[in-house]
Amino acid sequence: MTAKSPLMRKTGGARSSPVEVAETIPLRYGDDPYVWACWLYYEDGMTQGDIAQTMGISRATVNAYLADARERGIVNISIDPARLSSLTIAQQLKQHFGLQDCLVIPSDDSRPLIDRLGNAGAQALQKLLKSGDTVGITWGRTTLAVAENLALPDLQDVTIVQATGGTTTDFAYTPELCAARLAAAVNGRCVNITAPALVSSPHVRDILMAEPIVIDQFAALGRTNKIIFGIASMRPNSTVHTSGFFESVSLQQYLSHNATGVIAGRFIDEHGAPVAGPLENRTIAIELDMLRNVPMRIAVAGGFDKVPAILAALRGGYVSVLVTDAATGRGILKAEGVSEVDQKLLARTRLEPPPAHAPRTHVKKFINDPADVVDEMLEGAISAHRQYIRPVEGSKRALIARDGPRPGKVGLVVGGGTGHEPCFLGYVGKGIADAVAIGNIFSSPPPDPIVRCTEAASGGSGVLYVYGNYAGDVMNFEMAAEIAKERGIEVRSVLTTDDIASSPLEDREGRRGVAGNVFVFKIAGAACDKMWSLEECERVTRKANARTFTIGVALEPCSLPQTRRQNFEIGAEEMEIGMGIHGEPGVMRERLLSADAVTDAVIDRIFAEMQAKAGDRVAVLVNSLGSTPLMELYILHRRVAQRLTARGITMHASWTGHYCTSIDMTGASITILHLDPELTELLEHPCDTAVMRIN
Amino acid sequence: MPENAARSLGRMFHLISGAIEAEKDHLSELDGVIGDADHGITMSIGFMAVNATLARLDMETSTPAAVLSIAASAFLNAVGASTGPLYATGLQRASQALADSCELGPVNQAAMIAAIARGIRDRGKSQRGDKTMLDAWLPAAEAAQTAIDTGGGLTMMWQQAIAAADSGACSTRSMIAAKGRAARVGARSLGHIDPGAASAVIILRAMGRTFCPQQATIRVVSSVS
Repeated sequence: MTAKSPLMRKTGGARSSPVEVAETIPLRYGDDPYVWACWLYYEDGMTQGDIAQTMGISRATVNAYLADARERGIVNISIDPARLSSLTIAQQLKQHFGLQDCLVIPSDDSRPLIDRLGNAGAQALQKLLKSGDTVGITWGRTTLAVAENLALPDLQDVTIVQATGGTTTDFAYTPELCAARLAAAVNGRCVNITAPALVSSPHVRDILMAEPIVIDQFAALGRTNKIIFGIASMRPNSTVHTSGFFESVSLQQYLSHNATGVIAGRFIDEHGAPVAGPLENRTIAIELDMLRNVPMRIAVAGGFDKVPAILAALRGGYVSVLVTDAATGRGILKAEGVSEVDQKLLARTRLEPPPAHAPRTHVKKFINDPADVVDEMLEGAISAHRQYIRPVEGSKRALIARDGPRPGKVGLVVGGGTGHEPCFLGYVGKGIADAVAIGNIFSSPPPDPIVRCTEAASGGSGVLYVYGNYAGDVMNFEMAAEIAKERGIEVRSVLTTDDIASSPLEDREGRRGVAGNVFVFKIAGAACDKMWSLEECERVTRKANARTFTIGVALEPCSLPQTRRQNFEIGAEEMEIGMGIHGEPGVMRERLLSADAVTDAVIDRIFAEMQAKAGDRVAVLVNSLGSTPLMELYILHRRVAQRLTARGITMHASWTGHYCTSIDMTGASITILHLDPELTELLEHPCDTAVMRIN
Repeated sequence: MPENAARSLGRMFHLISGAIEAEKDHLSELDGVIGDADHGITMSIGFMAVNATLARLDMETSTPAAVLSIAASAFLNAVGASTGPLYATGLQRASQALADSCELGPVNQAAMIAAIARGIRDRGKSQRGDKTMLDAWLPAAEAAQTAIDTGGGLTMMWQQAIAAADSGACSTRSMIAAKGRAARVGARSLGHIDPGAASAVIILRAMGRTFCPQQATIRVVSSVS
């Protein structure tokens, strides 16, 4: 602690001038008594009384110094932005839905959401549960996590009542277990409902509900003054589906009546109104009206796929205390049209005010009639690359390699929308793709040109389709494969899914295909050229796709020739990570970073998935999304090389330039193909196309 | 002389195309928020191609089923993308549904809406609540059928179908996209109307104007466009 000041001089006024105490101020505080007072208070943790003694001034003066110091900006009190943002969201939710209370936990991807919600729910219950309470509880993963995280052994005379009947045994989070765990956690009595939650007919339900024991149990449920429940969504991955407890036929009926969420086995629509359906009279559980009359109704639910369901529950008045996470809370407010929350958060986290948008004019382009862009571009491409490609039966939308298809060889057909040049036509030629089907800008080609390509590329040993995983491409290529099959051509399809930012690892198959296409095409084409069987070509192409990892970063959006306006906005100090090749908004927007920091962010994420060991070999593609020049690509490439070297990984081959673009987007993507001996051999196999040549 | 059924359908596609053209930029803007900003353009290309193809058809001798089938393949071949297979399958189903009909009364009109909705659902392997055009088409199909079942007239049928489509499209605001490119932006799709649902409402309104003699009486207050 600081030594007491030898000089004890009282000052009269609350706002003494610095000069009065200047001689007594230790050197390190300069001439500023405000700084001294602040240091003693905030850093040394002294009381205002002690500071008054130390500084030889009155307590009132100390108080005034501290207040002034905040106004003058000597002291800034900052709250951890993540916590501040959850707090703001919680306040907004509380206000907007008139909740008794709301707890929002900061978003944090390092731990599973269910655990974090369980923890937060338990934290809330520690404040909310009191001795003598009768508490209802429903079932589910989150609900069980809450019970498992809770320990309140000092409560007395608490009764826990299971709020629904019992369920099947094939999942862990049953109503009985949720109730029993909660009862154990609060040292309370547990009342189970000893009837099934779902019975075979309304008749059976009526009989059971008339049983004295069940009547008694429901009477206990009627006495609950608090209830804890989860909220299930109707989405494919929700408990409603995965528990297998509800019959899927009935679920379809509920969906067709706009069911949006499920509480205690009962279905509600987007406004929270009960949805009548076939299960209603066969369900043994607390009624929604009864639930709404419980004085304190604590819902614990999160995950952005649950936003519509939680919103429905809030609108229906089923929730009086909500425990959720920041991303979900923000989603609810956004869906409800409460937009201030984002602005508030932005205003607080931004150091400078956002610059006012300069009015955007039309983007300049070398085009004639916007409607002719695709056809004129194709005419030019065919003439520029005439040594490699020619139209199939005169169709510019189906191009075939001059030196490619031959009897006995598996045909490789690629394709997609335009706007990604040189994708996909630049990879048609000897050793890579045999034919390409071309759609409109950013739009899949229809089945017709794909079928033409299939027939032209077929050498009697089957045809392999390789294309990016987009809903439109999937539908059109699938329709084409059906037609090809009718015409006696066997087709296998591999969808590229290299964009690791587009979906988490668990949803690998849902990821989109981006610049990694180039590597997957190269490997597939080599396998076909080596006259491998269709099965083998498909196998190694899938392997190449599984070992290809891409992340794109956009600095400026792209503009379509038809609109000549930018697709969307990226703020002056921002960048978008996870940008796809159609200019779809990325998955994260962040403050603009230096080239090395961007590369590190991308490489860290790729390394985390790639699991490469020292001594492994990779191929690298540093690709411009359109407007980013080679100069910047080389800067990125340099850092990629440094990171690979530092990890002991050998860069076996690399490409830098425009390989898969998004019209005129400013930005770049980094792709790494994790090689093995088989992939290395195929990568080195000779090819000769407009933009890729290996001799 | 009353217009034959094939001619009515030709007029219907003209009205749809005109309505889409008028809303093209708005649809692309909606798409720019959560997709790739080309929805208006794609729909416009598709229906223009339908009109161009139908212009070469002899409407006097064509059946409604033939018109719908030709429209389906014209739309598909012009568009591709995801709307191509979806609307092509829808129109193809409508063609099958009207296979034995030469007239287009309210019952067949309702059947046409239902068949389009079914085709879109089957091709897209999608369901209501996924934030797609189905959130407009399915409610419209159900409302049209309900109006028919309860003895409502032509005007009432279209009014209710359009109102249902409209409210369905608006409800996509609070949905999270589960299909298509919008699904990749996750929670960011919240708060925005799905462009496919918005264009479905435009199409249904144009269809209503085609068949409803008191076209001016179809006044559905819309919050979509």
